[in-house]
Amino acid sequence: MKKTHIFAIILIAVAIGAILSTVSSSGTYSDFSSAAKNPDLDFHVNGKLNKSKEVHYDPKENANLFSFYMVDKKGVERKVLYNGTKPQDFEKSDEIVLVGKCNGEEFIAKSILLKCPSKYSNPNEDMKEFKTKG
Amino acid sequence: MKTIEYIGEHPIFGQIGHLFIALAFTSALLSCISYFMSFMSKENRAHPEIFKNKWQKLGRIAFGIHTFAVAGIVGTLFFLIYNHYFEYYYVWYHSSTTLPFKYMFACFWEGQEGSFLLWTIWHVVLSWFIIRKGDEWEAPVVGVIATVQVFLSSMLLGVVVFNYKIGNDPFILMRLNPEMANVPFLHFADYLSKIKDGRGLNPLLQNYWMVIHPPTLFLGFASTVVPFAFAIGGLLKGKYTEWVKPAIPWTFFGVMILGTGVLMGAAWAYEALSFGGFWAWDPVGNASLVPWLTFVGAAHLMLIFKNRGQSIFSTYLFTILTFLLVLYSTFLTRSGILGSTSVHAFTDLGMSGQLVFYMAFYIVLSAYLLIKNRNKLPKTVVEEELASREFWLFIGTLVLLISCLQILFSTSIPVFDKLGFYHVTNFLGTICNFFIGLINDLFHSSIALFQKRHNLSPPDDPKAHYNMWQLPISVLLGLIIAIGQFFKYKNTDSKEFWKKISLPLGLSVLLSALVAWQLEFDRVNYFLLLFASIFTILANLDFMVRILKLKIGHSGASIAHIGFGMILLGVLISNAKSTVISQNKSNVNLGKDFPNNENVMLVKGDTVPMNKYYISYKERTRGTDISDRKNLYYTIEYFKRNDDTKQLEKQFELKPIYQLNEKMGNVSEPSTKRFLTKDIYTHITYADIEDVVNPSSVEGYKKPITKQMKIGDTIGLANTLVVLTGINKSVNKEALKLDKNDVAAGAVLKLIDINQHEATVEPVMVLRGNNLFSIPVVVDSLGLKLEFPKINPDNGMADIVITEKKTNEFVIMKAIIFPYINLLWLGSLLMILGCLLAIRKRIR
Repeated sequence: MKKTHIFAIILIAVAIGAILSTVSSSGTYSDFSSAAKNPDLDFHVNGKLNKSKEVHYDPKENANLFSFYMVDKKGVERKVLYNGTKPQDFEKSDEIVLVGKCNGEEFIAKSILLKCPSKYSNPNEDMKEFKTKG
Repeated sequence: MKTIEYIGEHPIFGQIGHLFIALAFTSALLSCISYFMSFMSKENRAHPEIFKNKWQKLGRIAFGIHTFAVAGIVGTLFFLIYNHYFEYYYVWYHSSTTLPFKYMFACFWEGQEGSFLLWTIWHVVLSWFIIRKGDEWEAPVVGVIATVQVFLSSMLLGVVVFNYKIGNDPFILMRLNPEMANVPFLHFADYLSKIKDGRGLNPLLQNYWMVIHPPTLFLGFASTVVPFAFAIGGLLKGKYTEWVKPAIPWTFFGVMILGTGVLMGAAWAYEALSFGGFWAWDPVGNASLVPWLTFVGAAHLMLIFKNRGQSIFSTYLFTILTFLLVLYSTFLTRSGILGSTSVHAFTDLGMSGQLVFYMAFYIVLSAYLLIKNRNKLPKTVVEEELASREFWLFIGTLVLLISCLQILFSTSIPVFDKLGFYHVTNFLGTICNFFIGLINDLFHSSIALFQKRHNLSPPDDPKAHYNMWQLPISVLLGLIIAIGQFFKYKNTDSKEFWKKISLPLGLSVLLSALVAWQLEFDRVNYFLLLFASIFTILANLDFMVRILKLKIGHSGASIAHIGFGMILLGVLISNAKSTVISQNKSNVNLGKDFPNNENVMLVKGDTVPMNKYYISYKERTRGTDISDRKNLYYTIEYFKRNDDTKQLEKQFELKPIYQLNEKMGNVSEPSTKRFLTKDIYTHITYADIEDVVNPSSVEGYKKPITKQMKIGDTIGLANTLVVLTGINKSVNKEALKLDKNDVAAGAVLKLIDINQHEATVEPVMVLRGNNLFSIPVVVDSLGLKLEFPKINPDNGMADIVITEKKTNEFVIMKAIIFPYINLLWLGSLLMILGCLLAIRKRIR
């Protein structure tokens, strides 16, 4: 057996390790109820902003606290707290993806990803805007 | 049906464009067939001297036509953009009348069609260097590149064959674009009169980095095709090893350009994006890094082969893999599969099927050729010596491969999810759970079990996930690079080796201990990387000085490796020791798992302490230039307290930008103060722009400002541009209820608001006898009061007094110190220089 073969075997072992670690550290798109069942784990939860409830951000009081209510894919609503500034164009978002965990009745988000209609350039959407201008 | 005559359309140019695309496609096809015939058909093999030249000539002529056609496509598209022919969808979608000339080329890489075009251009340019040389490699290499050109030009065809649309035509008229089918007014004859302007180029791309980064990156991508074409050409031609030598300079060239492209992307992210750093393991960034890693591997394997005649199979593998990975990253970024995970992925244009086919074609082709010819490849007969350079070079490439695979797997999670890969992972997880359960039972441990999933999302904390793997890999790479050069090919005397290496090794231990102590490194893995990168730098420096005796021409490898070491060191220190200095002493804390309170609020005029500094938000201004109107500049002043006088002394000011971006939502662009040993990076995380968007909603007025203006001058206010267009000397006195004898003059001011709406107002100055007074104008909708009190007799300029409505203006920002980040940029330059020297050495 050649020495490089030994390294090839090590390589394969490491590659398998990499795959497994990827799998174990990759998250899963989930909902609030699963997150509530496992308060120790981080979850990706996607849903929509409840526009009828308060979207609270008062930088004069606390520039690092932002809260709102989100309804997940299954229709469950929870208050979301985020330790940071309010993302730009938050109200315009179509869909929200939160990464974080449940803490009692609240969901504490580590990060907030927004899907905005303008970002995913829908020409018809643009044309609507455009028609009102023209 | 009667055909409608559409008013103002210029359909002829689109037709010319179509023609060029069709020509580019067919000429590429003809060129690759002819080139292959020149060395592959039976009669050519029998009588090469008769046929070979004819076919080769034909291939070359066809490639010439192809070049002409590609130039034609580019020229036509540019002509359409330059002339603002908005009846063309591409022009409407990616440009506007206000787009400055310098950014017009950027329209090419905003859209997918244009970016394929850019790629095509580079292939053509690279091919001509090979054709010009005109040796035995012209036919196979340019032949293979021509096949790629066939695929790339098919991406622009836009024809429907059996209900399947091939490619996207950049010359399609807006009214014919299926995306626009349900927009009724496009079908009226005078529809063009309703289209005043295009959507415009994404303001984020209107940045000088975005003018140079995409073409460089695409040149890097394009350059991977040349070594690939040499490898495939070698297999086709039966010259299984001879291709390596001519391919080496091309490989170094590609490594250099692709590396530069990736680093420019990092620099752009650092300078213009606000995610707080230069590398965020963003999928698109990863997608261009991965082929670079295998490309570097391929370059080193080629050196092993050239010097020792071994590991040809791996050389093939890495060369081919690099090109395939470029195709795969194209697929990742263009298929829309990354949609929600990346900032700069393109949207799906329905071309993923085509991209998959394109990839499959080259996978099958390369696999077939390699398997068919496997017995003809020279086998390594000698056992590698542990103390040989080739052995460590080879191990180094394997480490690169591991690094590449790990990034590739993690970046491909959205693809795995689409393919239903979570069934496989659930299965693997079940097996692992069995063993984990066993371990837990035996050792009373509590290792977490794998969770069952119904889908896969990217890692929750990408930085931690990637660093866990890439950090130890970088340590290994650094060590291998450091010792590699001290081994000779074949075998090295161990006494000599230790004698040579002991000096840099000892120095590195000392120096890294010193640095670790100075910078207070407290984690073992950081210390290991610190040592590995310092060892890389010192060992290569030592090699250059003592062994190469500073012969610059031969020091390419050493200089590139020193550069790599510096990049590692810069990345390590600037990341591990970066500190957010805008810590807010706030009352609410959400627990230790969550980011600290990293944003600080500044009310205009207030001065607050931050780290060693005192910072103050001075003012907000708006760009005056038409292409700069979208940017709000926040002036943040940094002060330090003088210990003797107890006075605050201004150190510097930063102007982070908040960009009003209609195309993708407002974005903020950081501003950085650069010192030799650290950068202070500042960006706006939240801006209160209510008064800009809706000025009449705020009460009270600010202190008036007086500006001296001459005709044509412009003042940029937060929400309005004020232009003095003229002085009206025949003011309508009756309307203003003035006396007949009064002397009155009006300052004609054009006001342009953020929506580009224009209004003209005319504050008036009146001379009644010896009294001078003025009649101001109040514009409620803009929250402005304008006065024209006098004209200065000495220079003839008009005084304009502007009073803006008061706002309780504030801004929220974040500031980070990145220490020693200049090592990263210096290392990048050295790496590029090293590659250049290596290329120069190989082509001489």
